[in-house]
Amino acid sequence: MELLPDLKLHHPRSVEDAVSLHAAASSGRYLAGGSDLLVNIRRGIEQPESLVYLNNIAEMQAITEATGQISIGGAVTLRELAESAPVRQHFAAVAQAAGEVAGPSHREYGTLGGNLCLDTRCVFYNQSEWWRSANAYCLKNRGEICHVAPGGKKCFAAFSGDVAPALLLFDAEVELAGPDGRRRLALADLYRNDGMDHLTLGQGELLVAVHMAKPSEAVHSAYAKSRVRGSIDFPLAGVAVRIAVSDGKISDLQVGLTGVSPLPFLVRKLDKFIGRAADDACLEELRDAVRGQAKAMKTTFTPPHYRRRVAGALAQKLAASFF
Amino acid sequence: MNEMTPVQSVGVAKPLVDGPEKTTGKAMFAADFQAAETLVGRILRSPVAHANITAMDTSKAEALPGVHAVVTEADCSDTYGVLPIAMNEWALARGRVRYRGEPVAAVAAVDVATAQRALDLIEVTYEELPAYFSAEEARAEGAVLLHDDKPGNIERDAEFDLGDVDKDMAEADLVREIEVKCSEVCQVQMEPHATFAEYDGARERLTIRPSTQVPFYVHKMLARTMGMAEGHIRVIKPHIGGGFGSRTETLQSDLIAGLLARKARATVKVVLSREETFITHRGRPESHITMKVGMKSDGTITAVDFTVQQRGGAYSGYGIVTILYAGSMIYGLYNISSARFQGLRVLTNTPPCGAFRGHGTVKTRFAFEGLIDDMARELGLDPFAVRRANLLAAPTMTENDLLVNSYGLDQCLDWVEKASDWQARKGKLPANKGMGMACSHYISGASKPKHWTGEPHATIHLRVDWDASITLLTGAAEIGQGSSTVMAQCVAETLGVDMSRINVVSSDSALTPKDNGSYSSRVTYMVGNASIDAAQNLKARLIEAAARKLEIATDDVECLGEVYRGGQQDQGLTFDEVVMEALAGEGTITVKGTFDTIPESWGGRKYRGAAIGGTMAFSYAAQVVEVTVDPYTAEITVDKVWVAHDCGKALNPLAVEGQVQGSVWMGMGQAMSEETGFHEGLPLAANMLDYRVPTIIESPPIEVGIIEAADPHGPFGAKEAGEGSLSGFLPALTNAVADAMGVRACELPLTPDRLLELLEKKARDGGANSDRGAA
Amino acid sequence: MKTVLSLTVNGVAHDDVIPDNMLLVDYLREKTGLTGTKIGCDGGECGACTVLIDDRPRHACLTLAATCQDSRIETVDGLSRDSRLTALQRGFNEKLGAQCGFCTPGMIMASEALLRRNPDPSEADIRDALAANICRCTGYVKIIEAVQFAAQELASGELAS
Ligand SMILES: Cc1cc2nc3c(=O)[nH]c(=O)nc-3n(C[C@H](O)[C@H](O)[C@H](O)COP(=O)(O)OP(=O)(O)OC[C@H]3O[C@@H](n4cnc5c(N)ncnc54)[C@H](O)[C@@H]3O)c2cc1C
Ligand code: SF4
Ligand code: FES
Ligand code: FES
Repeated sequence: MELLPDLKLHHPRSVEDAVSLHAAASSGRYLAGGSDLLVNIRRGIEQPESLVYLNNIAEMQAITEATGQISIGGAVTLRELAESAPVRQHFAAVAQAAGEVAGPSHREYGTLGGNLCLDTRCVFYNQSEWWRSANAYCLKNRGEICHVAPGGKKCFAAFSGDVAPALLLFDAEVELAGPDGRRRLALADLYRNDGMDHLTLGQGELLVAVHMAKPSEAVHSAYAKSRVRGSIDFPLAGVAVRIAVSDGKISDLQVGLTGVSPLPFLVRKLDKFIGRAADDACLEELRDAVRGQAKAMKTTFTPPHYRRRVAGALAQKLAASFF
Repeated sequence: MNEMTPVQSVGVAKPLVDGPEKTTGKAMFAADFQAAETLVGRILRSPVAHANITAMDTSKAEALPGVHAVVTEADCSDTYGVLPIAMNEWALARGRVRYRGEPVAAVAAVDVATAQRALDLIEVTYEELPAYFSAEEARAEGAVLLHDDKPGNIERDAEFDLGDVDKDMAEADLVREIEVKCSEVCQVQMEPHATFAEYDGARERLTIRPSTQVPFYVHKMLARTMGMAEGHIRVIKPHIGGGFGSRTETLQSDLIAGLLARKARATVKVVLSREETFITHRGRPESHITMKVGMKSDGTITAVDFTVQQRGGAYSGYGIVTILYAGSMIYGLYNISSARFQGLRVLTNTPPCGAFRGHGTVKTRFAFEGLIDDMARELGLDPFAVRRANLLAAPTMTENDLLVNSYGLDQCLDWVEKASDWQARKGKLPANKGMGMACSHYISGASKPKHWTGEPHATIHLRVDWDASITLLTGAAEIGQGSSTVMAQCVAETLGVDMSRINVVSSDSALTPKDNGSYSSRVTYMVGNASIDAAQNLKARLIEAAARKLEIATDDVECLGEVYRGGQQDQGLTFDEVVMEALAGEGTITVKGTFDTIPESWGGRKYRGAAIGGTMAFSYAAQVVEVTVDPYTAEITVDKVWVAHDCGKALNPLAVEGQVQGSVWMGMGQAMSEETGFHEGLPLAANMLDYRVPTIIESPPIEVGIIEAADPHGPFGAKEAGEGSLSGFLPALTNAVADAMGVRACELPLTPDRLLELLEKKARDGGANSDRGAA
Repeated sequence: MKTVLSLTVNGVAHDDVIPDNMLLVDYLREKTGLTGTKIGCDGGECGACTVLIDDRPRHACLTLAATCQDSRIETVDGLSRDSRLTALQRGFNEKLGAQCGFCTPGMIMASEALLRRNPDPSEADIRDALAANICRCTGYVKIIEAVQFAAQELASGELAS
């Protein structure tokens, strides 16, 4: 029998009910698949008094297409996302990323919303209560110091969701609902560079859906992650690439990264590649550009040096596959 | 009637006798037992790595409603351990803790919440001592001793110097050295440790179901720790979810469950979390090896000179045996005469290591097979040719007096060479692909058991009752390796009856004869032989009965298994009728079978500890591994493994294949992804995400060739099948990577980050094929 | 907090008052006494606890029982009808897909989910479907053969699973 804190579980049927139930509770969390949250609760990292369960809300479970647009509900499972025909057709990187999350059983119940709102990860944090207390905890949870960068006051726990960098390629927007109603936000703005508090969600806000515009037919995209095993593992570095090549020249290029810093982000200053010939020299430059911005810290068992280098290598490899 | 023949059970693929329980969920593992009012047992673990315990106050915990027992070292009568000469652990730390996570107290309470609250109420005062997490730190001048009687924090320095190493090295055409470092690995059997203990307060008797490979050792250590008569304890082995050596010695959780049950005078279940199971450890130590080999230009090995240092953890455990195996098992695979070994087993403030599948042999084999592969390349020899230049010829005694009575390595080499199409393909694969090979061997049980009182090495009882069913009573622990099936096969084959007649009862101290347990691949060989002996004894009794009933001489009885008759014309008696006759007058029959090793197999006396390695028979294996390396990410994909294993005789070819595949694959985990790691003694990978047991995705097809170089004393010629092919995988993999990328990996596991570093270093040094590694 | 949970487990209807913080795996093992479902890790890492919820595989160790209101739960304990082994169970038995048997309940349930939606899986399909289930004994080779055996048996019409 596992020891979990005493808590109250709510089963709302609508987004509005979910928001008001959450607002009424003193310390509440939204629960989707639970494949991240319940691990943290079991480890004593989170001790919510109430959980608001999102998977009975029909609105959040649909993938809908309109001309040039797609909307994906926050409670859509990763398997549904990976198998969705329109997503595969127009947003290949997103489908691939969803299909690379954890293992097949996790994807059956892990959701898009949970993946985007995933807690950040660190070897000093994703440990049991006994472990963390023996290690005097850390800044992110009850402690005074960071074991990764002991001098500092910043937390470097890495955002490690696979899907976010792929969505960033397509300027995805998230639809949020909270006590003050609904709002839309660029996905990029959902995140901030702080491992302790990496989401900009307001108090009691939940992610209802993700909206994206379909890119032109010329745009290709792909996702690849580095991990030691072929399944289950979180990305040591995850790389999403969006690219269009016309007449041997790059006409569109974006690279999204995950697993290497407290937030997923698009690699900056890739404009210089537009108009360049798609050749080996260009690929190597791209690799170096990505590597330069993948500033992984010692938050994983695998050393950060590798994560930086492999981020660049994966960008190079993915881009090369479209040349 | 005439074409009636005895039923064949040996050499035939048989599903496991306990397969149906396992596939229907009916198999009861320790954590599955539940009785009314079972208490929850939980353990308080040390948060510090090395400290004197200056005070402990359990009164608040004891006062908490719902708490039925709190136990500490004060409840323990004695130390425990696995080697009679090195029992220096307490079930609950006494006076000093030596690693983070060491148990210091435990509670039994009505539910988890109460148990946890009680643990939180126990106050322990620690006075911290310097702690050492590496062998070097622990060995350094002036280091505080973990145990007062172990100067220098050395558990054991082992050495031998056989033949004339310096002279033979000087006579070599090529001398090369290698230095390897291998991370610590853990068994990670799928079942976390669990123990279900029932205490009968009225009779002062303990009945306990531990998840163990060695019920007999647990029995002894329970009696010792609890100060109870052995006869007042009953140990029943439930189904066991794997072991691989993690449960080859008594674990604290087994003892703590007993202590709690007695103190609470109730039923207590202790189920460890995965993290606690990792902390309990007993895995393979981190090792540092240097090795020098001399070779003639034809590939003949002239001498081996090597050192092994192991970080053993905080207590002795099997340490002495492990370090001795790391030396002695340089022999027995190839024809090596001169060898010098220096081994150091070091005590550190990390969880104690133990006897992991392939005990002691794996890392030495890794160093050796990698080194001779490089030397072969330098000499322009094929890797197969080098191995063939050094074969043994059985029967023989090695330089360190190990008996080699049967030897199928040559056939193993032939098989894998052919199956992998080595000669046609090696060297001709596309870029970033490579093939590598290596050989390995293992013992079929240690010929001298640890707790030796002079009794036979194995004892089996067979009971035949009025229903004509045969009950095989064995103390040997079925842990998933299929030992119960093998025993049933041996008995069925000897009697010529159908296996369905045989019910196996495994490991219940109230019913089954003593057995040392499932480790060092002893069960098939020793218990198999005892099974045959028992079946022969039974058969003699049945033939007597048949003769009586048929009114003929015993010599004239023809036994066809299910029928006993006087000759072709005789309609004979059915097995049931013979049993009825045999039982008439004397009732239920129980016969015994035993097995003893022969003195020639007891290992040598040329150096201290030379008995370690002594065995009745060695298994042999050769394997070829084919890999693809991603030049961008340095990720290795194992495309295919071909492995040939000489098991003497495949009593159950299906089970042999399964064991060999499992061994090779476990070697793969150790070679490619698995390692523990510590942050100031706290385990960084005490979960199944950071400790990377391979998933089905990266696990390759493994084609098994069974080689049968029959052993003269083996049961139907059989030898071990469950360990020998593990260690060969590690060097075969790195040899394949060397073939693909031109780099020699000396640190394991060869994770992508380690390989990338090697590739980058090679590119920096202006390696020849830098075009391959773009990353 | 407590909830009245109504669901079916292996076809049997249950109405139980359970605490909201109870994990499905604990509900199954301790409340209904069905101990076939195993616990191999501290949450989501091994697959031993895989059960089917409305035909879909899920980790019972990361599922709150109270979220399974009105669901159809299936565990390994309920697969064999009339004590006859299903094709998958026979496959794991006869092909030696189960050595120690501890991963087996989870493996069989994940395989069951696969065969229900894809009765004719390729080797790659089988690998993909079992990629969240760790086995420490077999090296997976014979597990793949066990699932293939079951798929063939089902295709040849013997004993629907
Ligand atoms: C062994 C293992 C391996 C894993 N490997 C990977 C991996 O490789 N890649 C990866 O990306 N993930 C991995 N995960 C994590 C997880 O399975 C996935 O990220 C999954 O998508 C999380 O979704 P969920 O619905 O289960 O989230 P939950 O656990 O339910 O929620 C996660 C967080 O998001 C919040 N949340 C959920 N939904 C919403 C919403 N709609 N609005 C606002 N907040 C919300 C929750 O409050 C919680 O804080 C792994 C998990 C495990 C146990
Ligand atoms: S980066 Fe530092 S503060 Fe953040 S989780 Fe890791 S140890 Fe804690
Ligand atoms: S017990 Fe649920 S995944 Fe391990
Ligand atoms: S059969 Fe033992 S873990 Fe799979």
